[in-house]
Amino acid sequence: MYGFLGPNGSGKSTTMKMLLSLVRPTRGEIELMGRPLQRSTRRTLLADTGSLIEAPPGYGHLTGGENMRLVQRLLGLSDKQVNRAVHTVRLQDQLDKKVRNYSLGMKQRLGIAMALAREPRLLILDEPTNGLDPAGIEEIRGLLTQLASRGTTVMVSSHLLGEIDKTATMLGILSNGKLLFQGTRDQLLARSTPDVLIDSSNPRHAASLATQRHPTRLDGPTVRLSGLTQADTAAAVAMLVHEGIGVHGVRHDTQSLEDVFMDLTGGGGL
Amino acid sequence: MIAQAVHNEFAKMRHLRVGPLVAVMVAGVLAVTCRELTTPGFLESVDDPAGQSWQRLLASMAFAAPLVSPILIAVLASRQVDLEHQGNGWLFSHTSGLPAGRLCRTKFLATGAVLGAATLIESALVIGVGTLVGITVSFPAGQWLAYTASMVVVNLVLLALHLLLATRIENQLIGLGIGVLGVFLAASGSGMQPWLAHLTPWGYYALATPLDYRGEVLASITPWHLSIVALAVVGTAAFLLITRRFDRQEV
Repeated sequence: MYGFLGPNGSGKSTTMKMLLSLVRPTRGEIELMGRPLQRSTRRTLLADTGSLIEAPPGYGHLTGGENMRLVQRLLGLSDKQVNRAVHTVRLQDQLDKKVRNYSLGMKQRLGIAMALAREPRLLILDEPTNGLDPAGIEEIRGLLTQLASRGTTVMVSSHLLGEIDKTATMLGILSNGKLLFQGTRDQLLARSTPDVLIDSSNPRHAASLATQRHPTRLDGPTVRLSGLTQADTAAAVAMLVHEGIGVHGVRHDTQSLEDVFMDLTGGGGL
Repeated sequence: MIAQAVHNEFAKMRHLRVGPLVAVMVAGVLAVTCRELTTPGFLESVDDPAGQSWQRLLASMAFAAPLVSPILIAVLASRQVDLEHQGNGWLFSHTSGLPAGRLCRTKFLATGAVLGAATLIESALVIGVGTLVGITVSFPAGQWLAYTASMVVVNLVLLALHLLLATRIENQLIGLGIGVLGVFLAASGSGMQPWLAHLTPWGYYALATPLDYRGEVLASITPWHLSIVALAVVGTAAFLLITRRFDRQEV
């Protein structure tokens, strides 16, 4: 499962729309499942790609079952394929209900069933948990994990790291249309430069000295220095000792994934 | 795929009250047309060739159709398209290989079939009513068929126009407002100079009319058949051109 993260307006939906040929890239090329996405390959590639972009699809005046039949007819699917998709999202008991009477969670599940019915190799979901209550979010999360475990590649976007941090095996972080990071959760944590915390005999004096070279903040008795390399840390400690300040302890701050994400994206959207 | 897509459009029409809407159009045209039966002397002259009974019914239908059809066509088109706006259908169809323009053309095929059939039924029902009231004078088949065919063309062109408007402008009140304006243009078409009637599709109802009253006398006039053919050609070309642009547009 690929978690596609970024603040609101960072370009997640646009990227997903480009992958689905809904938006033309101004430059560059797209490769899906190892093949370039071009006019000649589009139809074949999109036949293997299910998607849920923006609001979940579904005609409110028709029942869930009638909506699924529209998909079945349009894509030439078998009853078995449709039934499997409906059962996967556990909507089989709600198919006779008109979609306008569905809850948002049910609409999302119907949208996912419509995307799943073609048995795609790649499933692209744009903020599928938007507007859902915690139970609904948990349900969708479980469903996506189940799909990924069956071998479907699931690309899911969110502006909330906590939503996909636990389920995604690969993360991509986007900000202002640029991919800032792509890798595993551990690689993301490794990319971080946690603050250096120094406990000393004279924190106020230590902070006033350090602030001339590095972004510095005084947290009670602790001086917090940001963006330091290992060499910077050694130099800062040496300087404090040289100025006669007793250094009692030097350590790295523990950083959560949220902090790393905030650092990378400039704090937007969280 | 087009056949399945058209089938889907008919399936989407369920619960949209398309049937009752079309029935209202047919009944409306029939009711206004049959007003002619109540004019003094009509029923007494059904077997008198000088009474021009069929011609009077045809003229009455040519008065009724522009009054009733434009607004109902606007409503019909709006209902077919609004469901795509409401149900995120454009995006879903596009990712299923049916981009917006192709979906519009599919809607035209399905809704056009219903509208075309309704127009033919309207015309046939008027003939039925004429037969029922006992008109025995010879039936002006050529004139009647030509007018019915022209009505089908004008109605379909209006349907195409309203489908495009409803697709492009999400607020369906705009399309319906244009439909109301169309009723005025269509109803006043017979009083317009022919060149003026040529400028909007609604004016073509008047151009298709084969009969007109000169004072109290009903006289045959030459309908602008070539203009109707030109409307069909230009309408088809414009619809294809615009919907092809929709196909290429980003969603």
